[in-house]
Amino acid sequence: MDILENLGLKVFSNQALKILDKSGATVNYDKQTAKIPQHLVDEALRKCPKTVILSARNPKLDVVLDGKHIVGTTDGTGISTIDLETGERRTPTKDDVAKTALIVDALDHIHMYYPTVTPMDFPGHAHVLHEYDAAIDNTKKHFISGATYLPEEASFLVEMASTLVGGREELTKRPIISAVACMMSPLIIPSEQTDSALEFARYRVPLILMTMPLTGATGPITVSGSILVGNAQILGAITIVQMASPGTPVIYSSYPLSMELKTGAFSVAFPEATLVTVGHIHMAKRYGLPSYGGGTISSSKVPDQQAAYEKSLCALTCALAGGDVCGTIGLLENYTVLSYEQMLIDYEMYEYMLKICAGIDVNYESLALETIYKVGMEGHFLAEKHTLKHANEVWTPMLSDPRPYATWKEAGGKNVVERARDKVKEILSTHRPPSLDQDIKKKIAEIIKEGEKKIPH
Amino acid sequence: MSVKSEEFFIQLENSVRNFDVDAATEVAQRALEAGVDPVEAIEKGLSKALKQVGQRFERGELFIVHLISAAEAMKAAISVFEPKILEGKMKRKALGRIVIGTVKGDIHDIGKNLVSVMLTAGGFEVYDLGKDVPAASFIEKAREVGADVIGASALLTTSMPAQKELADAISESGLKTEYIVGGAPVNEGWAREINAHYAADATSAVGLVKRLIGVEG
Repeated sequence: MDILENLGLKVFSNQALKILDKSGATVNYDKQTAKIPQHLVDEALRKCPKTVILSARNPKLDVVLDGKHIVGTTDGTGISTIDLETGERRTPTKDDVAKTALIVDALDHIHMYYPTVTPMDFPGHAHVLHEYDAAIDNTKKHFISGATYLPEEASFLVEMASTLVGGREELTKRPIISAVACMMSPLIIPSEQTDSALEFARYRVPLILMTMPLTGATGPITVSGSILVGNAQILGAITIVQMASPGTPVIYSSYPLSMELKTGAFSVAFPEATLVTVGHIHMAKRYGLPSYGGGTISSSKVPDQQAAYEKSLCALTCALAGGDVCGTIGLLENYTVLSYEQMLIDYEMYEYMLKICAGIDVNYESLALETIYKVGMEGHFLAEKHTLKHANEVWTPMLSDPRPYATWKEAGGKNVVERARDKVKEILSTHRPPSLDQDIKKKIAEIIKEGEKKIPH
Repeated sequence: MSVKSEEFFIQLENSVRNFDVDAATEVAQRALEAGVDPVEAIEKGLSKALKQVGQRFERGELFIVHLISAAEAMKAAISVFEPKILEGKMKRKALGRIVIGTVKGDIHDIGKNLVSVMLTAGGFEVYDLGKDVPAASFIEKAREVGADVIGASALLTTSMPAQKELADAISESGLKTEYIVGGAPVNEGWAREINAHYAADATSAVGLVKRLIGVEG
């Protein structure tokens, strides 16, 4: 609060400055700064819904963020794809968006879709609309729009979503889309992201307010310093949103990076970055807000062991810290490169993690005392009724292979990346996407065409 | 060169080696008042020390934050000397001149700042225009200082067209400058498409600039 009241935020959005001014913050229009008093932040926090529901086009797939569930999504939005056939990096396409949405549709514990890549084969200024278009063809799960920069983009996306759900009022009741708005570090409220967020907020589309401090560069090199700086940005953003459109669902999001000191390069999954995320998860809990941070992220360029350990250490740490949205599958190299294989390997890690976080059941049935007595000192449990009864509760790997060497060798001796590749191809060739009404499809296509014309570029 | 000048050079060297911006500013002030040649002071006091810091960084003895702090100390001293240098129309010895900035519409600048520092540490004269810089400003500054290289950074895919715009502006301007681009969404393919050179990070940028200008090391 000290920072918000005394140092203040740099606010590049005129709209946001006016909102803060009207609400009682100390605003300087020339310098584009705002000092926000404690009572205003407190009021804003009170207006935030404590449970956030991210709806899906199939209500059975609705996501409830109430602090009691861990939820998974894809990571995004990358700018390059590792081709599934050639293994080479290439420009991402709308088809990549479609395929990864289809894969998400097939994965039970991934509850929402965030565009894994931005399609470069369609007009860039309307990329948000094309990302959504590819997603709705392949899954009814909740859609998160990443990187919406212009209010016009937001307005067309709202139009598309309203068409699908039956009107804008219906969208407010059942928000089948949410949007990320990224603040800037150290203490900057940028104009485009904020203005488009305010457009979404008009319809109470849930907002994922995100901070990404780079420790040692755009935030202090010490973990708690960067926690502080990031927290100030989010509180500032929440205040702006709630003063403009009270009751807009918000999610507290954090994706810091920490510096490798010998080169100045950054990683999303070094210990310091993970710890800053953990700090923000704790802050979110303190404010009674759902958190979205960490997950299966890595600075590795390929699906290798660095990817595996960075992703698993970061994801598990954040989940154990109490994060709500913790699975963020699919990308490498600091959220910039899509790897289809990695997407499933991440899912495997994520499901493993969910099992760990579910904890240990200790009750009469799980203690199995009766069965232990029955089997006795030298028997076995393989065919016991108790074993059969509880067998389907055990974690089943999609990719992990514990078989002996000879068996594994005979089956092809494939490593996990190769097995993931096979599984991706299997899902893509067998999973059927949900159907989309043709009339609605036509309306959507018209909205996209209009968006391509009207969105500034 | 008087004994007094030598003393100032050593003090300037130390301020850079100790990553001390305040000391650098203070010594530069006193050196100016004592009539020390500013160009000599930069060369024999500051650049010399920064070069050594750079070498220690390359050997892994120092971290990047040390290199940046040392360069900041040097920059602080140079800004004290600058008015005198302009006044006397003196020429600084530099390996080359670079105009750098983040393109119009983009306010992310940390990577670009790292490149600026590394280039300064590498012995180049860097004119950093900051962020959200229109193409015309790059061109104007490059013309004014006789830049050898123009560098443009973009973090957002939506900012990349501005890098192309600048490429076009450079070719139309008739300036004989090299053009380098960087930033998270940028890659070799994009650079080639817009007739620019690509640097993946700050260290590569220094190597690239040295190659383009035709300098050793």
